[in-house]
Amino acid sequence: MLAIDARDVEKTFRSGWPRRRETRALRGVSLAVERGSIFGLLGPNGAGKTTLLSILATLLTPDRGTITVLGHDVVRDAALLRRRLNMASGRPSFLWSLRVGEIVAFYGRLYGLSGRALRARVDGLIEICELGPYRRVPYSDLSTGLKQRVALAKSLVNDPELLFLDEPTLGLDPDVSVRVRAHIARLRREQGITIVLTTHYMREADELCDEIAFIKDGKILARGTPGELKRQIRLGEVIALRLDPARVPWLAESPGVLRCVEVDGWVECTVDEAEKRLPDILRALHADGVVIRNVQVREPELEEVFVELAK
Amino acid sequence: MSWRNELLAVWAVTLRNALMGARNVFFFFELLFWPIVGVLSIGLMSRFLELTEAQASFVLVGTIALSIVNVCQLEVAYAVLLDVWSKSLKHQFLAPIGIRHLTLGSWVVGMVRSLAVFVLLAALGRWAFGFHVLQPGWVALLTFLLGCFLTAWVVGVAVCALITLFGNRAEAFAWASVNLVLVLAGIYYPISVLPDFIAAIAKAIPLTYFLDAYRSHYGFESEFGAPIATGLALSLLYAALAHWAFLAAIQRARRTGLLLKMSE
Ligand SMILES: Nc1ncnc2c1ncn2[C@@H]1O[C@H](COP(=O)(O)OP(=O)(O)OP(=O)(O)O)[C@@H](O)[C@H]1O
Ligand SMILES: [Mg+2]
Repeated sequence: MLAIDARDVEKTFRSGWPRRRETRALRGVSLAVERGSIFGLLGPNGAGKTTLLSILATLLTPDRGTITVLGHDVVRDAALLRRRLNMASGRPSFLWSLRVGEIVAFYGRLYGLSGRALRARVDGLIEICELGPYRRVPYSDLSTGLKQRVALAKSLVNDPELLFLDEPTLGLDPDVSVRVRAHIARLRREQGITIVLTTHYMREADELCDEIAFIKDGKILARGTPGELKRQIRLGEVIALRLDPARVPWLAESPGVLRCVEVDGWVECTVDEAEKRLPDILRALHADGVVIRNVQVREPELEEVFVELAK
Repeated sequence: MSWRNELLAVWAVTLRNALMGARNVFFFFELLFWPIVGVLSIGLMSRFLELTEAQASFVLVGTIALSIVNVCQLEVAYAVLLDVWSKSLKHQFLAPIGIRHLTLGSWVVGMVRSLAVFVLLAALGRWAFGFHVLQPGWVALLTFLLGCFLTAWVVGVAVCALITLFGNRAEAFAWASVNLVLVLAGIYYPISVLPDFIAAIAKAIPLTYFLDAYRSHYGFESEFGAPIATGLALSLLYAALAHWAFLAAIQRARRTGLLLKMSE
């Protein structure tokens, strides 16, 4: 069964006065999300991810298209849907003087919780989101990661069937990111919540999502399971080398190397698996008498994936 | 829509505004400073100009009313302003909340706050200038206060609508425009002294009628036939209009993306 069925969604922002500026944020996006799945939206800045999420969450009215969320029309039944979905953003913001517990309780009351039920829900969320020690701390005194956890707690206060997460690990240190991702996976596993998230981190999408859509300039360029997409785009890792001499022509032909480019004096080789290929490459370079001044291994930038995708 | 959920949502907003108010010292400053300055300067001026006791009461009623309305409408405007300032507007409207919950919840806090201001100003007026707010009796006083609160509600909701329509940069404009209208109500003078077209505007303002009714107890003959009924009817009409405008502004903000823009 589908949690979201969106067809040909279009949205143009018109802003500015007296000179009007038009931004076509979405240009005919269609999307289907299975109930109980985690769906990832990937794309560069300004691609339209937040716009799409906001439309699905009833915060923004689409210009065109039919959108069914949890079996209801997202525009006509917006009020009804708001009880059943929720959203957290990676750049959260709440009233500065309210304490963590008060923020969660405030939103809980808006969803009809009171008395003991409210207290139990707030306690539970504070525990799950590891906010116990901060319960009485004003929001403005929290660190970025803690604010994000408050946003997550708030987004779960109505026990949503559908949860939207806009860059949930933005600006978090790796340790906290790992925990947040584990938490998201648990929400789906234990409570069957359908989750739609946006992210700039490939690894995150890879680890969490059942299905991914790449969006750019308001259009979906590719979609599929992480595995399908990787095969489709030949996603790999990048080994960046600073060498003397700077150019080594045979590198591009080495086993496992998908392509090589030169950027600012670095040779960047995209390989299928860095861990497996790095020793061989270093050995070969050494044997060839090339001096290795620096080596870095990283995931490909999203942009590089898009360069591939746009072809 | 159940009554329990309705009240709960209103209570949630009330509690939120009350907590914010209690924790922000500057809000307190705003609460006390201008009202006290107002009553002191008007009271002293009336002494300097050697106004009669009745005339002094007339202008003191005006300045007290203005203070009450201002404090209360500010709190009603906080219904969206707190969210605008903290960029949490989109969370607010993602929740199943109606504008009635927002405006009623903050109005409750506004009434409590302005009641506190009123008590303070009444004591000050009594102590410094021998002005007695209870001279017209409890019923007249409570009606007058209700009139001030209703006017403040309308003004506050209108400010909310304007801010939601034009974005947070329009904050100052929203206040100026709405308060300008307020000053036209006969705050310091009977509206019979106004030029015709301004008097016509003053006659459209509910506060004018509540001031008129209250002052009639201080020896100023009423200028209207049924001031309280007229004031109430106008207040309710404007409250409905202001809420409709606020709702339309929210719907427009959902369409234009302003709701999102004000949250980032
Ligand atoms: N409220 C708004 N008003 C006007 N234009 C907007 C608004 N929101 C988004 N846009 C424009 O629409 C386009 C898509 O923006 P959107 O925020 O959806 O991108 P995104 O994919 O979420 O980007 P990012 O990765 O930076 O978060 C951008 O060009 C942006 O400038
Ligand atoms: Mg975004």
